[in-house]
Amino acid sequence: MKILTLAKKESQDILNNKIYILVIFVQLFLVLGAFGLAIISSIATDPALLDTYGITSHLNVGISENLNGSELSQDLKAQNFNIIYYNNTDKALKLLGSGLVAVVGISPEGEITVQTDNSNVFYPVVSQKINNAVNEFELTKKLEAAGLNQSEIHTIQNPVTLTEIKVNGNKTAPIALDSSYFVEIMYGFIVPFVLLLPFFMASNIVTDSVVGERERKTFEVLLMTPLSSSTVMIGKILPILFFSILQSMAWILLLDLLKVPIYNPIILFFILSFVGLGFIGVGIIISMLVDSTKEANSAITLALVFATFILFVPLFIKAPFFEGILNFIPTVLIVKLASTPIINSQLVLSSIPTILLSAGIFSLAVRYFRHERAIRL
Amino acid sequence: MKFTTITRWEFKETLKSKKFLIIFCLQLSMLFLMIFVFNAFAANIQSDNGVSLTPSLSGFASLDIDDQGHLFTKYINPSLINIQSSNYNTALQNLNNGEITGFVQVPADSLNSIKNIDTINVKLYLDYSDPKRSVISDEVNSTTNILATSISNSWIDSLIPQNTTQIVVNQQSTGQSLQIQLLTNAMLAILLFLPLFFFGNLIIDSVVGEKEKKTGEILMAMPISPSQIILGKILAVEAIIALQIVLWMIILITMGFKFANPILIYILVTITALPIIGVTTIISAYSKNYKEAGIGITLSYIAVVGVLIIPALTYLSVKPLAANISPMTMVMRILSGETIPFWQYFIPIAFILLVSIITYWISIKLFERDDIFFGPRPGLIRLFLELISFKKIKKIR
Repeated sequence: MKILTLAKKESQDILNNKIYILVIFVQLFLVLGAFGLAIISSIATDPALLDTYGITSHLNVGISENLNGSELSQDLKAQNFNIIYYNNTDKALKLLGSGLVAVVGISPEGEITVQTDNSNVFYPVVSQKINNAVNEFELTKKLEAAGLNQSEIHTIQNPVTLTEIKVNGNKTAPIALDSSYFVEIMYGFIVPFVLLLPFFMASNIVTDSVVGERERKTFEVLLMTPLSSSTVMIGKILPILFFSILQSMAWILLLDLLKVPIYNPIILFFILSFVGLGFIGVGIIISMLVDSTKEANSAITLALVFATFILFVPLFIKAPFFEGILNFIPTVLIVKLASTPIINSQLVLSSIPTILLSAGIFSLAVRYFRHERAIRL
Repeated sequence: MKFTTITRWEFKETLKSKKFLIIFCLQLSMLFLMIFVFNAFAANIQSDNGVSLTPSLSGFASLDIDDQGHLFTKYINPSLINIQSSNYNTALQNLNNGEITGFVQVPADSLNSIKNIDTINVKLYLDYSDPKRSVISDEVNSTTNILATSISNSWIDSLIPQNTTQIVVNQQSTGQSLQIQLLTNAMLAILLFLPLFFFGNLIIDSVVGEKEKKTGEILMAMPISPSQIILGKILAVEAIIALQIVLWMIILITMGFKFANPILIYILVTITALPIIGVTTIISAYSKNYKEAGIGITLSYIAVVGVLIIPALTYLSVKPLAANISPMTMVMRILSGETIPFWQYFIPIAFILLVSIITYWISIKLFERDDIFFGPRPGLIRLFLELISFKKIKKIR
């Protein structure tokens, strides 16, 4: 009952604080912005998606008039480029990078020259498509020169056929863009980032709450009440943890609406609750060590920067020696849990170090709190 | 009394503070961490597999392969995918249990097919209930293409006489690739501009601290104008930022980063601090307490970062002249060794000066008001109307 009263007071403090509410909207903006950026960058790097959205047909490739009607121009058209024929090579080369993404010419000796603009935003796709067209052209010419018939040419050009067979087609996972890049960037970075954002905020709220009490000189009054240290701690952290989990839940629902399904939400919330306890624990320890909100802000910013490194850098580096350890990092766990419809027990067991570490940080925070209480009273 | 006296006081007090020195050293240690990440990221995206900006999670998806001839397995890239050999029955069971996302079945007689110049029919069983299906599909498709090219070439070598006349294709590319530009120039430019955002707390302490510690009244009673007070405080912070940028650049150069024209880069980065300090001063002058100022600065810095980074990233792709208003664009261009027309340097400098003058003018106007300094604080709309002179300003003196 006493815990509930304290928790209710803390909840009211959180909900009455306009800045916290504003931060929720900032998070919403971040989630939608990150999703939008992932969509745009996925389309820009995927040849099939560029074709689907008709962007390739706006990419101009300049071809020498001498190649008009050639197999090479047909191959380039087959790649969906907009072909512009030119008479003057110098003029065409001047337009490379502004009006044209590539210039294809033929020398008097019959040598084909292809120049592409590397700095173009669509360069990876342009380069891939031009390579496909040129390879196709070279291969056909080689095979024609060898005097092979059309059937033999077809077999040599297509030595491997790939047939895709749908399994669980009736349970197709809805995904906003069926692109490898999109899935990797969303699940491999944005999902853990979005789910952990509220817990970064939680450590800030707890610091505000504890240091705020000290600055307002109400901390001693709270410590003098007939409440045990653990009751005070639970009363203070429960609403903050609940508030953070609620935000994470909201972002999961939003991602589901945006067609980025998040799997295993219950296990995720279980792990996130412990990660949250760890963050809150760090916030409490900092609150015990500093004298003012200003110091707390500086210290918590630095602590969160270091936490960001520990949590997110492993997602972007290749370190075969640390592979075993990397699998226990909360962000890696979140990636695997959120993207896998059916998980194995080994993955769940990998969360034990996170749970133990977070519980350890929180126990340390409780000890510090008791120590502070003993000193102050 | 001159503003330089205030600058001297503030500068000395800041450097005397043990807590500031600890934070200062922690910021430098953060740079070392960033250099480590920068190098790891560079090694990752410039790996043998080409340039990639996606996370490098190992074992992100799982794939079973039935490939007795080891034809397919030889070419598949296992960096993102857990690959294990399997057979049809086990793999389908794994697929239905959700243990794997895909299964590739290469015909057992694939080696004979190559010898006989026959097409090889590879089957990919893909679990559509798994959102990672496109990762598997993409990898299997690119492996199929690599395998097909290899088989085609071996067939061509055996079928086509050596003396056959072949078409010569000469492929060239101009300009630096966007990803490499992002890595080498944009990320280095971001590292250089980072210290500008570390000192918001110094300004808060310097301005809001006067309100919270109730020392503002004494300061106001001194024989110095509010504009001189603001100027004095701002210059102290600018001096500390300039010191941090020097150390930052020395560390980067020592760690092997190469700068074309380091002095020009230093000047551009250092003067960029002026409008950022100006924005921070406005927020600090208006805020009642540290907490409010802290949140306000966090939000405004998101906008400032956007103003710096968005034009720089835009410049990488479409190179509009307007992108040069961001000093980060100019630093990035200097880092890339581009020949920049002299007059273009004035675009970011003019922008910096303009924003600095506006922000300092607003800061001084706010600092002059007794209702903002001692309360009751006016609302933002009323304040805006008063600042553009629709209403009279309540001055302290």
